[in-house]
Amino acid sequence: MNLVSVAIQNTRRNLFRSILTVVGVAIAMLAFLLLRTVLSAWLVGVQHAATDRLATRHKVTFVMPLPKRYVDTVRQVPGVQAVTWMTFFGGKVPGKEEQLGSVAVDAPTFLRVYDELVLPEPQREHFLRDRRGAIVGVALARQFGWKVGDRITLAGTTFAGEWEFSVDGIYTVKRRSVDELSMFFHWSYLNDSLPTQLREQVGWISSKVASAREAPIVAKRIDDGFESRETQTLSMSERAVNNSFMGMASTLLDAIQIVSLVILVIMLLILGNTIAMGVRERTQEYAVLRAIGFLPRHVVIFVLGEATALASAGGLLAVALGVPFINSGVARYLEENMAGFFPFFRLAARDMLLALVLSGVLAVLAALLPALRASKLQVTDALRKLG
Amino acid sequence: MNVLAHARLPEPDVRPTLIALRGVSKTYQRGKESVEVLKELDLDVPEGAFEALMGPSGSGKSTLLHLIAALDAPTGGSIKVSGVELASMSENERAHWRAHNVGFIFQTYNLMPVLSALQNVELPLLLTSLSSSERKRRAQIALQAVGIADRAHHRPNQLSGGQQQRVAIARAIVSDPTIIVADEPTGDLDRHSADQILNLLERLNRELNKTIIMVTHDPAAAERAGTVRRLNKGALL
Repeated sequence: MNLVSVAIQNTRRNLFRSILTVVGVAIAMLAFLLLRTVLSAWLVGVQHAATDRLATRHKVTFVMPLPKRYVDTVRQVPGVQAVTWMTFFGGKVPGKEEQLGSVAVDAPTFLRVYDELVLPEPQREHFLRDRRGAIVGVALARQFGWKVGDRITLAGTTFAGEWEFSVDGIYTVKRRSVDELSMFFHWSYLNDSLPTQLREQVGWISSKVASAREAPIVAKRIDDGFESRETQTLSMSERAVNNSFMGMASTLLDAIQIVSLVILVIMLLILGNTIAMGVRERTQEYAVLRAIGFLPRHVVIFVLGEATALASAGGLLAVALGVPFINSGVARYLEENMAGFFPFFRLAARDMLLALVLSGVLAVLAALLPALRASKLQVTDALRKLG
Repeated sequence: MNVLAHARLPEPDVRPTLIALRGVSKTYQRGKESVEVLKELDLDVPEGAFEALMGPSGSGKSTLLHLIAALDAPTGGSIKVSGVELASMSENERAHWRAHNVGFIFQTYNLMPVLSALQNVELPLLLTSLSSSERKRRAQIALQAVGIADRAHHRPNQLSGGQQQRVAIARAIVSDPTIIVADEPTGDLDRHSADQILNLLERLNRELNKTIIMVTHDPAAAERAGTVRRLNKGALL
């Protein structure tokens, strides 16, 4: 037995209240973890985006295409190691509302530039040969129950009509710069199917450079090369592209941060209330402890120890519930319904650690005032009330 | 010497003085009003005494008990216990002194409900540098001394009032204090349990030579003390 173990045992004194407090803290912390995961999932595109890959798009807007012949020009720019091109297709699985993240790519160059895609060799070979072939991310395949060899039909969104594909491969990724919820198929299939006036255009050109440090220099060289052409370009690293998308959602992200803080304040109040009630009820007991020789700092240890025990139990419960709730429950729902926004929705270890640390810190903050009050009580006055 | 006269006169107390109060006064400030609770009080308590303090409510007996136990400092005067001046001690020094020299017994026992009897008795020893096993050993000896070792692992709510008070007495003696102060120790007990507690206090006084100062309203309890002192309006009668 020591001071801390006595403080922990004190949490059993009013077991029902302690359980309610632990559950309250756990729910608040679970909500906090959920919001942290939303933020992380949203920012994962930025954090993991490639810095040694440039995206070159129409200078006015990414909606407007570039002439396909620009690819050859970009390939000649000093510093560019490899080039590929692609066009966003979108499309929907018939009967589903969610638009897919499907992209028409030049398969041979795409698989070289995006070498983080992992595809079994027979599937790769088959995909490269099959004009109507497509490769799909493992999460997307799981979502729709697709298997290699399946024939699938997408309803065009940007490009009208029904589009048939054969699932030639299911990829995974070795880096998170590409998600596992996308679908890639042959640009030539799209191009050949379009009216003549829409052919030979690409959504953007992606080029690999030697290093992240060279990226801005090479990007400027590319854009300078098209300065006097009929269509000007804007080149930036993939991370910069994702960052600019994040900028549009910054207000929403700020709002999520604020709500996270509000949740922590609520948790602080829940804990503070419980601890203050407990301290008030035990004034005379603290007086007895002081009478038998315990110092004010011992009383502070008793109160802070009890608060920390309750909050830590709540934090641990939140983490224990958070892993299945977020990783299996919420993640599955979001991946099925909002895959474009949350391709990697997983509770991060650092957020779990943060929740546990914050539980302890908030416990100390919540209990500090009641603890100091308890430590300063007038022993003789409190003892007189004992009768 | 006349044998009859010898029988009538009290024996002079030759025991050394343990507690010496000289000109002790205590004044409380209530708003703008000063309330003098103890007035220039002198008192000598010999070592190994068992004394009862009686008096009407507000007479100052609890205040006197708190001053002797170093729970409070006097407004004026000197309080010496074993030659140590308490009046000039800081709050923390008094707490340290209490932990080693005073055992407390309260009317309502004041045991921690989440701790077993053994743990409650061990509690004051957390302030010492004793090892865990030594603390347990001493707590068990204290429980044996008060005759409740068989309830060591019971929680307070599993014990009767008399048993709880025995545990409280074990807690009071576990650190082998010089003085035991008891504030209405039988106030919450039935007559039978009260008698048992008083027997126990008598035994602690007689066999372990503990100096006991007991505040009580109960004449039957006061009868057990070797000396009964009466207070009224802050003065010893």
